[in-house]
Amino acid sequence: MPAGLATYIIRRLLLLPVILFIVSFATFSLGRFAPVDYVEIQAGPRAQPETIERIREERGLNDPVPVQYVRYMGNALTGDLGISTRYQGFPVADVIFPRMWITMQYNAVVLVLTFGIGLPLGTWAALRRGTWQDPLSIGVFLFFASVPVLISVPLLQWLFTVKLGVLPSGGWSEAEYLGVELGIFSKHIVLPVLALTLPGVAGIARYMRGQVMEVLDQDFVRTANAKGLKASTVVTRHVARNALLPIVTILGFELAALIGGSIFVETLLGIPGIGLLAFESIKSRDYDTIMAIVLVGSTTFVLAMLLIDIAYGFIDPRIRVEGSIE
Amino acid sequence: MSFADAAPVPIEADTRQSPNFRALRRLMRRPVAVVAILIIVVIYGAGILAPWVAPYGFNDADFQNRYAEPSLEHPLGTDSLGRDLLSRAIWSAQTTVIVSVAAVLTGGLFLGVTAGLAAGYAGGRTDSIIMRAADTFASVPTILLVLIITATLLPRVIDLARDVEDLTGADWIVSSGAPSYFLVFGALAIFGWTGIARVVRSQVLALRQEPYVTAARASGAGTMRILFVHLLPNLTNLLLVAFTLSFGALATAEVGLTFLGIGVQPPHPSFGLMISEGVGLSNVREHPMLIIVPGMFIVLLVMSFNLLGDQLTDVLSPRHR
Amino acid sequence: METRRLVLTLTGIAVATIVVLGGLGAILLASGGGDDDGTTAGDDAEDDGLGERIDNELRLFGPDPITLDPACASDAGSAEYIVEIFSGLVSFDLDLNVIPDIAEDWEVSDDGTVYTFNLRSNVLFHDNSRPVTAGDFKFSLERALNPDTQSTVGEVYLGDLAGSAEFIAGNADEVTGIRVIDPQTLELTITEPSAVFIDKLTYPTAYVVDQREVGDATCFEGGGWTLTPNGTGPFKMEEWDLGRKIVLTANTRFHLEPAPSLDRVTYILSGGSSFVMYENDEIDITGIGSVNIESVRDPNSDLNADLREGPSLNVFYIGFNTREAPFDDANLRNALSLSIDREFLAREFLLDLVVPAKGILPPGMDGYNESLPDIPFDPDTARDLLEEAGGAGVIDGATILTSGQGATPSDILQVVLAMWEQELGITVTIEQEDFGLFLRDLDDGRFEMFSLGWIADYPDPQNFLDIKLHSESSNNEAGYSNPAVDALLDEADRETDEATRLELYQRAEELIIEDMPWAPLYHGKANYLVKPYVEGFVIPPFVIPNLRYVTINR
Repeated sequence: MPAGLATYIIRRLLLLPVILFIVSFATFSLGRFAPVDYVEIQAGPRAQPETIERIREERGLNDPVPVQYVRYMGNALTGDLGISTRYQGFPVADVIFPRMWITMQYNAVVLVLTFGIGLPLGTWAALRRGTWQDPLSIGVFLFFASVPVLISVPLLQWLFTVKLGVLPSGGWSEAEYLGVELGIFSKHIVLPVLALTLPGVAGIARYMRGQVMEVLDQDFVRTANAKGLKASTVVTRHVARNALLPIVTILGFELAALIGGSIFVETLLGIPGIGLLAFESIKSRDYDTIMAIVLVGSTTFVLAMLLIDIAYGFIDPRIRVEGSIE
Repeated sequence: MSFADAAPVPIEADTRQSPNFRALRRLMRRPVAVVAILIIVVIYGAGILAPWVAPYGFNDADFQNRYAEPSLEHPLGTDSLGRDLLSRAIWSAQTTVIVSVAAVLTGGLFLGVTAGLAAGYAGGRTDSIIMRAADTFASVPTILLVLIITATLLPRVIDLARDVEDLTGADWIVSSGAPSYFLVFGALAIFGWTGIARVVRSQVLALRQEPYVTAARASGAGTMRILFVHLLPNLTNLLLVAFTLSFGALATAEVGLTFLGIGVQPPHPSFGLMISEGVGLSNVREHPMLIIVPGMFIVLLVMSFNLLGDQLTDVLSPRHR
Repeated sequence: METRRLVLTLTGIAVATIVVLGGLGAILLASGGGDDDGTTAGDDAEDDGLGERIDNELRLFGPDPITLDPACASDAGSAEYIVEIFSGLVSFDLDLNVIPDIAEDWEVSDDGTVYTFNLRSNVLFHDNSRPVTAGDFKFSLERALNPDTQSTVGEVYLGDLAGSAEFIAGNADEVTGIRVIDPQTLELTITEPSAVFIDKLTYPTAYVVDQREVGDATCFEGGGWTLTPNGTGPFKMEEWDLGRKIVLTANTRFHLEPAPSLDRVTYILSGGSSFVMYENDEIDITGIGSVNIESVRDPNSDLNADLREGPSLNVFYIGFNTREAPFDDANLRNALSLSIDREFLAREFLLDLVVPAKGILPPGMDGYNESLPDIPFDPDTARDLLEEAGGAGVIDGATILTSGQGATPSDILQVVLAMWEQELGITVTIEQEDFGLFLRDLDDGRFEMFSLGWIADYPDPQNFLDIKLHSESSNNEAGYSNPAVDALLDEADRETDEATRLELYQRAEELIIEDMPWAPLYHGKANYLVKPYVEGFVIPPFVIPNLRYVTINR
């Protein structure tokens, strides 16, 4: 490992607590700034205002926000993520991790499919430049990259459950394989995967097509071609390597897009994953659950980005490591 | 989801003064680009001119004519209250225009550019602070934070707007939805500037070493002059494409945010609202027009912006010079 | 050609990705063998993730509950499960009569304040460890009232008990109104006679829980015990997978007749469309709304025969802020009410899924006044009344508060607004708020008009008239105050003769309708699809235990 890279990694890791502090404090204060808290929301119309006030006092919701924050973070550091109020009385950890597992499962499949299909497809399209397949593929990619999931999901849902009647209309199921509860082989996973993979593949293919074409136009490739090297050698040796570099960055964007996309897909299809839970927690002001999701989400994201940067450093050692890596 | 997440397309830095009008001429010679521009102009134009163009008001209900099939009277049919879907789509286009304006005004598009310029040019400590801030903001699950902000701040902002209404007598403020647009897109801006900032920064880093910049600096030109006269024009290509893509992403963002219950407030329609009304499986099955009509508009608009972005990248790229 | 080979390679990579994933799936499917239920992985029964479907099983799409702790539940979505798993001294039967449950019978003292319950001796907790005693009830009721439990509804349903106020304030160690005479006898004393006290005891707040299991768990902490609740109800919890499913099995030793006939009830808590799930035989019963109702009513529809309809004890209304001008004027309120075409709203717009309201009380409730005249649709009179109230100018531009987030406010409200605009020439705007904020604004009287529904907690007029429209009730959002109505309601509360009591309520209702503090719009009906092999399923008008009456007959 290059020496500079090690310093860089350490620096980034040192930054993590700072990021988490800022993010967590912002989330925490924002949550407490809501005009209505969970006690009031759950109490419903019948409860007496005095009862609500008493519970609020006992639960420490009337303390100054910094005091509440310190108390929460103190517990969080010892591994206690707090108590859910959407699922009243359950520890947050018991609530969020099974949900995350669900979201991770179908998103992993989406990632593999997106890159596994998108990269070759984009390269293929670039090589067909100038043929009739070119405008066709561009059009198809463009279309699928432009349809928001909010439109594609209901239409896919209609197609597969009502029209064809081959898939369940939503939900999630798991079965035990080799001792692990897995949902990736059930029919329920098809709709969410399809909904997220279509725009993903289209986006990656579009991007890859541009990258490959750019490399193809560069002088060294032209020279290689002129020298009579085989097309496949040129592509594998020069094009792929140079075009793949920015793809690693795209992985980061793709990850972020998936986190956003999950909320919509899960809400529309009733998949009990972390996206749906996040949406519900915010609606019901489930403070501790929101905090835990944001904390775990940010940590995962920062670490994933770091890994991507490190990968980047290995692929292209020329990258300056002392700054942020583009 | 956030508009700046749209991966900015890296463009070769053009170190010469770019002959923009030549690029424009090249663009207008491409039929695909012209079609894209036409679609955008028609949809945005219809939106801006909605009061004159739309055959009906957005809330003109006709209870005897609910879920009507397309007809001469209602070219695209009607919804659950017998409101004309075409008219509602046109009014929704107006919302999309307002949203884009709100995004520009809240700094969503400029925050990133400014930060990138500053970081790239100043370097050193400034650079490091700005980029660490970018790291922080980029590591937050954006949509979650925007949801939280809207859930907690929106009621308070609306209260505030009501007070302003009471004081000034301007009773259109809240009903126009302006406070929610500004809050939502302001929130998006806060989290969405990092992508473009990075791209701008790296371009500036490259340009800074160019002889003409060094020369300008040597001849005693001020920082502002160098930034705005020498550096910014060379970023036009990059920004043009990024902004084009942003407008498409913005339209998508509105749909998503409105579906989640934040953003545009009824009764003023938006594509997001129309889609939310038609999104249920039973609706898609019994009354497919409810989702197809707004869906068609949104897909056309987003496709056109993406297409235009591609074409711009193409004509602006140095290999065409 | 080189390019072709390349293209083939690329296609190969894409195909390989799919094949590898699929192959992995196939291998795992094959090796998955059978899980605990003995199901074969990969076959259809397994694929819905709910385990193999057994013959005598009912599958439902249910709400995702907030809590299954009886002391804490304040919403119908949670109560639906609690009433099947737990039980109390008394409960409702399907005809909405209060029947003995764990109590075998009870006596009420002459002054109506002391209730003595004799408990059955054969009621066991689900784990069969021991019989339920009066001491368990004392623990459970005191737990619900105990401020440390942090229940938002304990006081609402049990606050009538003598000594509860002192106990809540922390000035007493126990509730004096709850006395254990002997293990089989419980004596409850209330501060003043109340006809609805016994009804309130049917609510989950008064159910019995196992002290040894619950320990010091509160509503907000230590909720884990509800995963394996040791209840006394007709069904036992087999599995609760948070947010995904709840599986109940029959309590074969249940103490009431009929004992549950179903072996298992599976609730699916998350999924796409329950209507499609019903069509695909994933669930056996589903509610049905206005979007699907027309296709189902079509006599040619396969589902037509499955359609069931029943009363539901609720009322949807538009409330006015009667404390302040301009809505303190009954003429104005009546003008608004008379210009609503309820027939159109209920029959044509809501496709007969609801019945137009002519009063406050819903059909099917004790004391429902059949002879009450319809509220007419009379725009002419409405315009005259509006003139008397000062003309359209006094309310033009008013706002109506409703709960909701972003998405469209109910179509119904928009129809009403359109009617007002058409008949009276007034423009009213809708203002939407989060449910919590909405309730608070109602409590604080910060509104001009609002739209809301009210669903019965127990089938007694008191639950509607006294709670919602008595001037001293904290739930009287409209701020309605009419001394004559208050007097009638108070008298009814004290009256012990049932017929006289209902008559008093009917007189109060007539006065209320004249004053029109609310414009009642309609009463919702329960509209369901029920598979033909499901027998004995009665649509409950509000939450009552009803699954033990259901049988499956394929």
